Amino acid sequence: MHELGIVIEIVKQVEEFSKSNNINEIDTLVLQVGELSGIVPRYIEEVYPIAVEKTTLKNTKLSIEVTPGLGRCKSCDFTYNLFQNNNTCPICDSNEYEVLSGTDFMIKEILAK
Amino acid sequence: MEEFKIIEIKKRVYENNDLKAQTLREDLKANQTFMINLMSSPGSGKTTLVVRTINLLKEELKIGVIEADIDSDVDAITVSKSGAKVMQLHSGGMCHLDAGMSREGLDVIDYKNLDFVILENIGNLICPASYDLGQTKNVMILSVPEGHDKPLKYPKMFSKVDVLIISKIDTVSVFDFDFVALEESVRKLNPNIEIFPVSAKTNEGMNNFINWIKDEIKKWNEV
Ligand SMILES: Nc1nc2c(ncn2[C@@H]2O[C@H](COP(=O)(O)OP(=O)(O)O)[C@@H](O)[C@H]2O)c(=O)[nH]1
Ligand SMILES: [Mg+2]
Ligand SMILES: [Zn+2]
Repeated sequence: MHELGIVIEIVKQVEEFSKSNNINEIDTLVLQVGELSGIVPRYIEEVYPIAVEKTTLKNTKLSIEVTPGLGRCKSCDFTYNLFQNNNTCPICDSNEYEVLSGTDFMIKEILAK
Repeated sequence: MEEFKIIEIKKRVYENNDLKAQTLREDLKANQTFMINLMSSPGSGKTTLVVRTINLLKEELKIGVIEADIDSDVDAITVSKSGAKVMQLHSGGMCHLDAGMSREGLDVIDYKNLDFVILENIGNLICPASYDLGQTKNVMILSVPEGHDKPLKYPKMFSKVDVLIISKIDTVSVFDFDFVALEESVRKLNPNIEIFPVSAKTNEGMNNFINWIKDEIKKWNEV
């Protein structure tokens, strides 16, 4: 449910963008999804066909680029993937960290003629 | 071969919502209406806390409530008995609200004539964390039976709220709830958070929350 509403909103925004930039045919829509954004790429892919049905994006492919959820440990300075390590430093076991990347959720670009 | 070119958009998906929410917040400020966005898992005690809060403040403040529990009018009916102005938002099975819906709810309860609005969000600790609804402050509830390990599971929600209410503290003898461990893990995510342990059943601790509301309303209405 969550993802469908969001994808419908994204499709609207892309349609507006292409209208105001005189773009007729979009081959691919590229989204950027951070591992810490709470958005699950697989769910986005699942609902995408429903969201583009009856829109000008109905033949547009979807591509999702995942940005890693990196954090820096506050006790030992080690940089690690928060998502894969359950927010716990693999070196010193601390769970105090500063988030460096991966909270983003963006409409990155389109491939168009 | 067809030739395609890359056209950069680089727009945050939540940008439109954030802009709407910011306008809403300015309108609330201009009308001296203070609004909290109340979030928790289903059954943590949002409605009970709302009713208790209204009862403790209704003599001093004009209060409105926006109810957003998924497709049920039960909570709206419960709250309306307490005397506040209430409206039910039908979110159509969605797991979150957006700023457009919150604007709709505020218009229905006529927020310009109210001092204090509570929006009881949909019971969910994940999706609502991404949506600014124009609120002045974000408040979340964690109830004792849910356990003190929740900040690890929902870091985004715990990092963004201004206040954490630990509810149902009257049940603490039945559950292993470690207040010290909870506070420690919450403060790692959110050093400046206010934490109020309360029981909406016995009223224990409610005054701390009520005083916080009064102080924040004063600050909101200054300048
Ligand atoms: N013991 C106890 N029960 C509570 C307290 N607050 C709420 N409850 C109970 O928890 C259940 C769910 O409460 P409700 O307010 O409907 O939760 P909501 O789904 O978050 O709105 C109800 O049976 C309430 O009576 C409390 O402070 N102490
Ligand atoms: Mg409720
Ligand atoms: Zn470390």
